[in-house]
Amino acid sequence: MLVLTRRPGESIVVGQDIVVTVIEIKGGQVRIGIDAPRDIDVYREEIYEQVRQENLSSVANVEQIREAVQDQPRKDSPD
Amino acid sequence: MEQAEHEALVEKALRFPDGLPGLPDLENFVIVELREDGAFQQLQSLDNIDISMIVCVPWMFFPDYAPVLSDIEQAELGLETADDAVLFVPVSFDSETRQVFLNLLGPFVVNAKTRVGRQLVLTGTDYSTRTPIELPVT
Repeated sequence: MLVLTRRPGESIVVGQDIVVTVIEIKGGQVRIGIDAPRDIDVYREEIYEQVRQENLSSVANVEQIREAVQDQPRKDSPD
Repeated sequence: MEQAEHEALVEKALRFPDGLPGLPDLENFVIVELREDGAFQQLQSLDNIDISMIVCVPWMFFPDYAPVLSDIEQAELGLETADDAVLFVPVSFDSETRQVFLNLLGPFVVNAKTRVGRQLVLTGTDYSTRTPIELPVT
C-alpha cells in the first residue's frame, strides 16, 4: 500500500480525475472530501463490505432459505 | 412492484452489467417465482448455474420502505419514472435460529423496460443488511 502524509487542505490525485482531500482532523476522526467523476461509486468500506458479505451468505444458504420461504409443496400450475 | 411489471420480468433474463458486490463476474440472471403471493423469488445466475440467491419484494413486510436512488443511478439505469423500476432485496438466513433477514441496505433495482439493473449500496440511511422478518403463513 502506498502511504502518504497529508495535512488538512492538502490533496492526493488518483489517476486523471479523482482528487482526495483531507478536509479536517479532529478528535481522532479525519474528514475526507472526494472529487470523482459521477460514474465512479464511492462507498464507506464497511458498508460495501456488509452488502458483499450478505450476498455471499445468501448464495451459500440458498437451499435453506428457499425451503424456509417457499409455499408448501403444491407446485402444480393452474394452467 | 406492480403485478404486470413483475410478470414481465419473471423467467426473462436480467442483466447486471456491473456484476454484484462479492460476485463481480455474474451479469446475467433470471427471476424464478417461488410463491403464489409473489413475495419471494430466486435470482438465478445464467453465467454460473450453481449460483443463485433468494430475493424478496420488500413492501409486504415493510410498506414504508423507500430507498432513494441518486440522479446518477437513475440515469445509469435509464429510469425516467419510478414506475419503470422494479425492486427486490436479498434474503439471508441464520441456520441456527432459522431467522430470515432482508437486506434493505442493498436493494436490486431493475428497469422493467430494458431489464437492466444493478444492486445499490444505499448511503445516508439507517436501513440494515440484516432486518429480521416473520414469514406469512401460507
